[in-house]
Amino acid sequence: MKSKTIKYIIAIAVIVVIAYNSVYFKKLDEVKAVETAKEFNAATYAQNFWNNKLLPSLNKAIELTQLTAMLSVDTAKIFETYSHALGIGNLRYFLVKGKGQITAVNEDDISVLLQTDITKQTITIATEYVFGNAVRDATGLIDINEFSNTMDFNNVSAELNKIIREKVLPSFKSVVKNGNAIEFVGAIELNKEHLNLSKIEVVPVEIKVVQ
Amino acid sequence: MLRLFAIKNIFTITLFSLVLFAGCKTDTTQDQKKKVAVIVSTLNNPWFVVLAQTAAAKAEALGYEAKIFDSQNNTSLEADNFDNAIASGYNAILFNPTDADGSVVNVLKAKAAGVPVFCMDREVNSTDAATSQILSDNYSGCVAIGKYFVEQMHKQGKYVEILGLVGDNNTWNRSKGFHSVVDVYPGLKMVAQQSADFDRNKAMETMETMLQAHPEINAVFCGNDAMASGAYQALVAAGKANDIKVFGFDGAEDVVNSIKDKKIVATGMQFPKVIAQTAANDADEYFKGKRDFPKKMPVAVELVTQENVNEYMGYGKAPNP
Repeated sequence: MKSKTIKYIIAIAVIVVIAYNSVYFKKLDEVKAVETAKEFNAATYAQNFWNNKLLPSLNKAIELTQLTAMLSVDTAKIFETYSHALGIGNLRYFLVKGKGQITAVNEDDISVLLQTDITKQTITIATEYVFGNAVRDATGLIDINEFSNTMDFNNVSAELNKIIREKVLPSFKSVVKNGNAIEFVGAIELNKEHLNLSKIEVVPVEIKVVQ
Repeated sequence: MLRLFAIKNIFTITLFSLVLFAGCKTDTTQDQKKKVAVIVSTLNNPWFVVLAQTAAAKAEALGYEAKIFDSQNNTSLEADNFDNAIASGYNAILFNPTDADGSVVNVLKAKAAGVPVFCMDREVNSTDAATSQILSDNYSGCVAIGKYFVEQMHKQGKYVEILGLVGDNNTWNRSKGFHSVVDVYPGLKMVAQQSADFDRNKAMETMETMLQAHPEINAVFCGNDAMASGAYQALVAAGKANDIKVFGFDGAEDVVNSIKDKKIVATGMQFPKVIAQTAANDADEYFKGKRDFPKKMPVAVELVTQENVNEYMGYGKAPNP
């Protein structure tokens, strides 16, 4: 009888210990906060990329007139050396820089004449339609394997373009006039299969009027 | 003398056996030719026919046996196709899913059986089920279409959107890419948005209904080219083909021709052959020991307009002149 009672007590104690360790309570807002922290924040990622990777790498941009001259000679090699893209396909991106004179200020872009001792080339710089992956991909510093979700790296492009539309372009657009000399660093998209060097559009990362 | 004869015989028998076994080994290698299953969501749409046939042809060109299984847009038939492929000893599956969520279980089943799965064009909502996923960059392609749409509409007007299958991620990636641009311009107002399941006939009916409710629209954006063709047909019947701009997505042959004829304004060119060949190459590299594949690999989509349409043909680039 006594041993039976001891057995019951031990069994109850075991059940209580198991039950105690099986159930625990947490505040709902704490759990939600942890889940939110785990979610990818494209705006934060884009701002960190902009400050810590993109701006420090702008000195690696290639002179646009030099790039187009080299592309006319050996397209495949220059694409391989200077272009980047997160995916596969014909669309590739280059980080470029240049100096030139504005020949037209249009509603959605500006036309710029780039002139060296031996070449003349007119390009456009986007001032309205800043969309796409050029700025995200041009440096080659983002690894696709960092992203588990397709939409995350799409949103990084959207957030980088938003920075350009909201922080880079407004101050430039407020002062720019036809005939101004400008300097820029930015990204361009080129199709390696059907290369068209007469229609180059730069998405600016840095752009300023110079004296 | 007798002993020498015996040694000679033993030598001859050994040599003969070696030759025989060597021959057997060659035969065995041939018997063990690896098999690749191509499981495709549907063969009713020519785009997927190109995808499946290219995948099978590439696998065969790489030295494997290949067979196409049609899931007829039915997840339970897709499950049967997976069961058959696994039971029949296929060594890899090149897979175009019917449903981003519903197809995950099939991919996991193959993974558990040690059969690698390489997704083509459509994705499954799992990062660790498939060995790799080679996907059209639908979002970015529709960003390009959205930008062109805004330019063509001069930043103002009313439009409708015809969506694809609501359970397919491509439907929403395309719609989100398009709206990430168009919604920046408040002068552009979407007055209706409805699904037509990527189907030409349903899109025609949907367009007819939308026209009755919103006869004042200036444009329609369709989530694929089959629906763009259906919508255009409805506009022709209503006598509005010249007033309402049609935008599609896919790069299907009839729409590329319609762009040449200035009937449809633009589409996004996907490259089913590039996707299929990349998936088959991945399977080949897997057999040779590679394991570190990018989980999701986007394939660039190119904007096709009336200005550059001569550079393209159905499902890809026109050959360089």
